Amino acid sequence: MQKIEIKITKVREEIASFYEPKVWHFLTLNGVALDEETLEVQWIFSRYEALDDVVIYFSKISYDTLIPSIVELIPSAIISQRELVDMFGVPVEGTEKGLYLDEDSMQKPLAGCKL
Amino acid sequence: MSKKTINIPLGSQHISLLEPVRFKFECENETIVGVDSDVGFVHRGVERACTTKFKYDAIGYVVARICGLCAITHSLSYTVAIEKLMDAQVNSKIQYLRTLLLELDRIHSHMLCLSHTAESAGFEAMFMRIMGDREDIMEIQELLTGNRIQFDYISIGGVNRDIDSQRAKEITLRLRELEKKIYGYIEEFENNWSLSLKYKGIGRLSLDEAYKFNAIGPLARASGLAIDVRNEIDYLPYKEIGFEMQLHTDGDIHARNSVRLAEILNSIAMCRNILEGLPDGDIFTKIKGKPTGEVLVRYEAPRGELMYYVKGNKTAMLDRVRIKTPTFASIPAFSHIFMGENYADAPAILASFDPCLSCTAK
Repeated sequence: MQKIEIKITKVREEIASFYEPKVWHFLTLNGVALDEETLEVQWIFSRYEALDDVVIYFSKISYDTLIPSIVELIPSAIISQRELVDMFGVPVEGTEKGLYLDEDSMQKPLAGCKL
Repeated sequence: MSKKTINIPLGSQHISLLEPVRFKFECENETIVGVDSDVGFVHRGVERACTTKFKYDAIGYVVARICGLCAITHSLSYTVAIEKLMDAQVNSKIQYLRTLLLELDRIHSHMLCLSHTAESAGFEAMFMRIMGDREDIMEIQELLTGNRIQFDYISIGGVNRDIDSQRAKEITLRLRELEKKIYGYIEEFENNWSLSLKYKGIGRLSLDEAYKFNAIGPLARASGLAIDVRNEIDYLPYKEIGFEMQLHTDGDIHARNSVRLAEILNSIAMCRNILEGLPDGDIFTKIKGKPTGEVLVRYEAPRGELMYYVKGNKTAMLDRVRIKTPTFASIPAFSHIFMGENYADAPAILASFDPCLSCTAK
């Protein structure tokens, strides 16, 4: 598992230069709450037909940082972006909330779950 | 004929659905031109519970409750993640026994999907026949683990039950009988009008679209996309027991059925190889310490790639358990496939995805 840190403002450019749809399989977006103010956002890829070849691009951000959408590059990312918005309460460009959680549900349940 | 646009919901409760999901179809006459989905009807907060309510050594049992059909794949993925974080190795016998149950689970899950696909074609007798035969697998699982579905068979460091030669022999015999029945299904799915002609060319996903939407599991392999995590991992002995990736190129409902049938035959062959070549050894390895660091584990569940990301901090409580389930990841591909299809085919197309909403909402 290879981890590469990127600036949140450069996410789209970095992933655009890396991602080849027939070489890399997009697994998902992930969020890891580091502390009350910081979230690590991860974009996870694996190489097709390779033994455990996983690459994670990550960026450490505050919860109010707008996360760029990668849906134009990877259409299937929309579903994980919607999950990230619901679970952590972070804004993701062009992504609405409400995939999992209703208005009267507990909001952003994973944002502070270790705090 | 003038075009009339109407919105038709499918679900959240519908006769063709096993679990609650809602698709909102925008139709021009009978043709689907727009799709929206809502999957959040059974969200249970499992990821949060894993880091706030349970210690790491209990979570294997918690995540097994995410899904009744593929509970064992959740147990396995989480357990392997913890073993990697604790730098622990398990012996070949444990790996073989784990793989045996995982493949039995795949067989019964695929049979469930095939039976529902048959039912959605109006072939009730085939549905009954497959569900009846599926009991063989459920009984084999009970014989091996003590339970039909929620096995809790895999634990950190091993498995919870050994297998004796008598049980191994009985399982082998019953698998041989099942194999004959599967060849009978293949005959029906290939040649029966309801199952074959009705599903050829329906709900098609091309290879390029499979790449574009990151399709996984039988959905991807039916379109010719060679992705099967069993081919990309080394913590289970798939290279030794005869795993063969099953591919098709048509990408329609019929192709998905064909891939599942071929995978059942391959799983039966692998189970037989495991039982014939089961290594000696203990079924449990004691592991000391606490999980620390981060790890990502993937496994090929019956519906496709299952991913666990686990982060530990040298305490009994984990920092993060992230679960990416196959149906969840496939929703964009599902939505795309519906576009341009006839509304009347929507239930059959949906059944061919073999969706698991219990996993999706977790």
